This record gives sequence, structure tokens and C-alpha cells, in this order.
Amino acid sequence: MTLPPFLADLIWTYQNVIVALGVNGLLALAMYVVLAAGQLSLGQAAFMGLGAYSSALLSLRLQLPFTAVLPLSVVAPVGFALLVGGPTLRLSGVYLAIATIGLGEVLRAVYLNVDVLGGALGLSGIPEAAPIWLIYLILAVALLLLWRVGRSHIGRAMEAMRVDAAAAAAMGVDVRRYRLGVLLASAALAGLAGALSAHATDFIGPNDYGFEPAVTILSFALLGGIGSPFGPVLGAWVLTLLPELLRGFADVRLVLNGVVIVLAVLFLPRGLLAWRMRRIAA
Amino acid sequence: MRFLVMLAACLVLSTAAGAAEPVPVGLVAILSGPNAAYGTAIRAGAELALAEIDAGGGPKIALTVEDSGGTKDGAINAARKLIGRDHVAAIIGPTLSNEMFAMGPVANGRGVPTIGTSTTAAGITDIGPFIFRTALPEADVIPVTMARAVARGVKTIALLYASDDAFSKSGFDTMRAAAEQAGLKILTVESFASKDTDFSAQLTKIKALQPDAVGISALVEPVSGVLLQTRQLGFGPQTLFIGGNGANSPRLGQIAGAAADGLIVGSPWFVAKPDPLNQAFVAAFHARTGHDPDQFAAQAYDTMKILDEAIARAGSASPGAIRDALLRTDHHGVMGPFRFTDHRDPASAEGVVVLEMHGGAFRVAE
Repeated sequence: MTLPPFLADLIWTYQNVIVALGVNGLLALAMYVVLAAGQLSLGQAAFMGLGAYSSALLSLRLQLPFTAVLPLSVVAPVGFALLVGGPTLRLSGVYLAIATIGLGEVLRAVYLNVDVLGGALGLSGIPEAAPIWLIYLILAVALLLLWRVGRSHIGRAMEAMRVDAAAAAAMGVDVRRYRLGVLLASAALAGLAGALSAHATDFIGPNDYGFEPAVTILSFALLGGIGSPFGPVLGAWVLTLLPELLRGFADVRLVLNGVVIVLAVLFLPRGLLAWRMRRIAA
Repeated sequence: MRFLVMLAACLVLSTAAGAAEPVPVGLVAILSGPNAAYGTAIRAGAELALAEIDAGGGPKIALTVEDSGGTKDGAINAARKLIGRDHVAAIIGPTLSNEMFAMGPVANGRGVPTIGTSTTAAGITDIGPFIFRTALPEADVIPVTMARAVARGVKTIALLYASDDAFSKSGFDTMRAAAEQAGLKILTVESFASKDTDFSAQLTKIKALQPDAVGISALVEPVSGVLLQTRQLGFGPQTLFIGGNGANSPRLGQIAGAAADGLIVGSPWFVAKPDPLNQAFVAAFHARTGHDPDQFAAQAYDTMKILDEAIARAGSASPGAIRDALLRTDHHGVMGPFRFTDHRDPASAEGVVVLEMHGGAFRVAE
């Protein structure tokens, strides 16, 4: 690369943060697509784990090139979403949330107890094949797609479902199909995020995809606001950057981090970006 | 935008500092979150050593401490900040083996020698030629404990471990290998999750098999829970309990009390080790912090001294020269004589003492 040394140094220093911003942005979008359709589905961390583990195995065991691994990484999460979609989509609200968290815990137990997946030691030595530009390209494409879809009649149907699913169904919206559709889109986005992060940090472990990340991903979307796909991405960026920006405060870092989040929730209940997309006239 | 300005400002500051005399060294430790006790002890040990180094003549060290929060992302960010911004010549830490597996490749890729003081899992120094450790790997400590068990007439053993934690799993693998090596018959292997509070199913099965000994690889809280429950289920003093490195904590006695009596554990260091160097360290640490040091503080104290000697031998602040000088380490510290193997692990386990719980506190086992 022909970057000046100080810039190369700067990028190297913050490479992990830059990667995390892109990956967490994708995860926030995975959360956004289900929330936008009124589904409190918290399986994103589980889907991310499936994408990360399946792609890591493809790289480590079969030594496939990353260009082949990345598209394949959506297969496992989307397949899993199809499998669990039928039974779980009968649920809504907190029941759906509990069921999807449960699925994540089941997968975590699988990672822990299957030797090929490394057990508690995880998988290490994953090639660092995911370039930063690719992560941001995928994030930009996903944002653009969701923006276009959100402005179309599909976005209108999703918003109707979010406000009142029964009324939307009465108006002719095929609620079941939409619910499955957003679940699959969410699984694909989270799977990509998992594959990208696994191939940017070289090491994955079962506890990276458990309950705590599931809730963190939800907080990205809630902090940013779900009026448009930009809100969740902004929320993810704020929550990812805050701990690093506050590094100078050493011991009180986590306290300040918490205070900022509490203030944001108290004074900006509709999210940092409380702005709704305009729909294209039907 | 403000972020970029801040970054630029820090960059300017760090280049200005680079011209000064002291050698910049980084410390990555867990200073926040549930495992902060380990990192706080490590920092206190390293800072005591640094104060003594500053009082003596040797090369001066400018220490920058970074918090990893106990997560692999936190450790990577801390290492990247130390290397990219503070331009450290060497790093001490991180605290957990998991953090080292994540952060090690980053430091190794940049050619910055990194010394784990508490990373005991297998495979740490396989990360690369710049990764060292002064922590005795469990593979060195547990065989000593097993040999002691055999000397006490143990012939059969049951193993119990936490399967959801890298440290406990790695310790269990080592324990099983050591038991086989020692010629013990393994009657059963049982596992649990670190947050479990009920172990009666596993313990009832183990009790029915009547093993001479039970080996437990887990962090101190679950080990305490297991021991408390064994007494309720009627395990008597005829069963010898053997702990992994996780059981080597004074907290075991505080939580489990008399239920932990009789448990043996191998330790690279012991607070009451009688040699004068160790006694002076314990006294100085107590005067500085108001409490006794633990194993983590002792390891960090020795490591800082080892690194300082290496910097003196290297005669420069170049990470490559410091790495080569580290390989020629010949140090006598509070843990005993210390050298690195060619694979950058501690060369000998002769400093290992086998401890036994008695009345809620450790003492040297007979």
C-alpha cells in the first residue's frame, strides 16, 4: 500500500475498531430488518456464530479461498433460519425473544461439546483474509438495499405489520411470508458479519455468540432508532467507539460508558436518529 | 471528526515521547469487569518491580498500562494502541490465555516481544517467535501434583471439569494426560458449566465408583461449589481432591472453608516460601498495598525484573534485540531460578511447591 507511514500506523492501531465498526454495523442491520417488521427476534448472535464457525471450518479444513468462503458463509445461518422459522414464527413479542435466545444457547452448547469445533478453546489460526474495504462495501450495499426496500411497498407492509400485524393481514399483507423473509435476510446479514469478523481477528470462541452479544446487538438498534436503516448503524458505531474514546479515563471508563447510554435512552427514547423514511407513493 | 483530532493529537504526543530516554513498555491486564482482581494484582506486582528498578541504576522503563476488560477484543485494541501509538518495545500480559490467543498474533506480527505472566494454557508460545511466558504452563505443574498423589498411594482417579471455559478445558486435557502418565486408572470423566451450582448428579456417580482421588479443573468459584457439595454427599477424608491452577487461590478457603481441607494443588509460588528474596518481596508488597501478594503479583514482579535485565543486555530499545536478550535470561526471582527454553516457555518446574488446604488456608503439603 502507498499510504503515508503515519496514516498506515493510525489504521494499524485502530484496525480492530475499524473492523468492529463495519461488522457491528452489519449486525445492527440484521437486527433492524426483523424489528422493522415488528419481530423481537434475538437470534442474530446465533446466526453470526453459524456464519463464523462454518466459514472458519471452510477456511481451516478445506482451505477454500475467501472469495468462495464468504458467499458460502450465509448457507448455514439461512438454512438454520429456514429450519427454525416455521415453529418460531408462530410466536411474537417476548415469547419470540425467549425462543430465539434459547436457540442461541443451544448452538453455544453445541460449539462447546463438538470436538471439531474446538470446544471451549474455539478455533484459532483463521486466515486474516477479510480486507477492510470489503467489509465496508458489504455494509454500504446492505444499507442501500434496505433503504430502497424500506421506501418501497415492502417497507410499507413491514411498517404496517410492526404497528398492528392483524390489521396488516386484513389489508392483504401476507404476514407469515414477510416474517420468514425478514428472518432469512437477518440470518444472511448476521452470517456475513460472522464470516467477516472471523476472518479479520483470526480467533473465534463459543462465548462470542451467546446471550451477551445478542443483547448488545439489540441495544445497537434501540440506541440508534429503527425509523430508518441508518439509525441502527449509527447506534452500533456509537456503542463500539465509546469504550475506545473513553480509554483515557482508565478506571471510570465503563461508568462513563454506562452514563452516556442511560442519558441517551432517557432523553432520546426514539433513538439517536428519530427520523422516518419517506415512502414512495404506492 | 473530534475522534480524528484526538487521534492526531495523541500521535503527535507519542512521537515526541519516542525521543526521550526511558524504554517504553506496555502492560495489558484485566482492570475492569468480573476478573479485575487478577489484573489488579498483576499491575501491583509489576509496579512494585518498576519502583525498585527506578531506585536502582539500570535502564529506565516508561510503563503504559492498558485495560483489556477480560475480552479478546479489549486485549487486541489495547495491544494495537500500545504498539501503534505508544511504540512500546515490549508488552507484559495479557491476563487470560484466551486474550493471548487473540492478541498474540497481532503483537507477534509486529515483532514486539510479549510476555504472558499468567497464561497457562497449552499452545501459547506456538503463536510465534515473539511470544514468551513466565507463567509455568499447567503441563509443568500438574505432573508434580500427580506425582505427589501417587506417592500418597492413589491408584484410581475421577476427573471433573468445566467444559465451557478455555482455561478449565485446557487444564483438564493436561490433567488427563498427567494422570495417564502417572499410571493412574481414570474411572470416569464428568463435566459441568462454570455457572452451575448443582453438581450432585456428577458427584453421586463419582462417589459410587469410589476413586482414590478426584481431579478438578475449573475456576475457583465452581471448585469451591464442588467441594462444598462433596461434603454434603458424604465424601470423607479418604478421597484426595486434586486441584488445577484455578484452585490455587486464597479465595478457595474463603468460600469453601473446611470443606476444602485436604485438597492439594501445585503452585509456582507460595507466599510463605522462606527464601529471603521472597520474604523481602512479600514485605515490600505489603508495605505498598496493605495486603499480601498472590501468585499473579509474584509472577508479574519477576517478569518486570526479567524484562528490565533483558533491556539492559540488549543495550537498545529495539524489540528484536530485546527478544534475543530475553532468550538469554538467567534470573533468580521470587519464584526461584528462571530461564526460558528455546520455545520461550519457562525452562524448569523446580520452583513448584505442592500446597494443601488446611483450616481454610494453604500450607506446604507434606
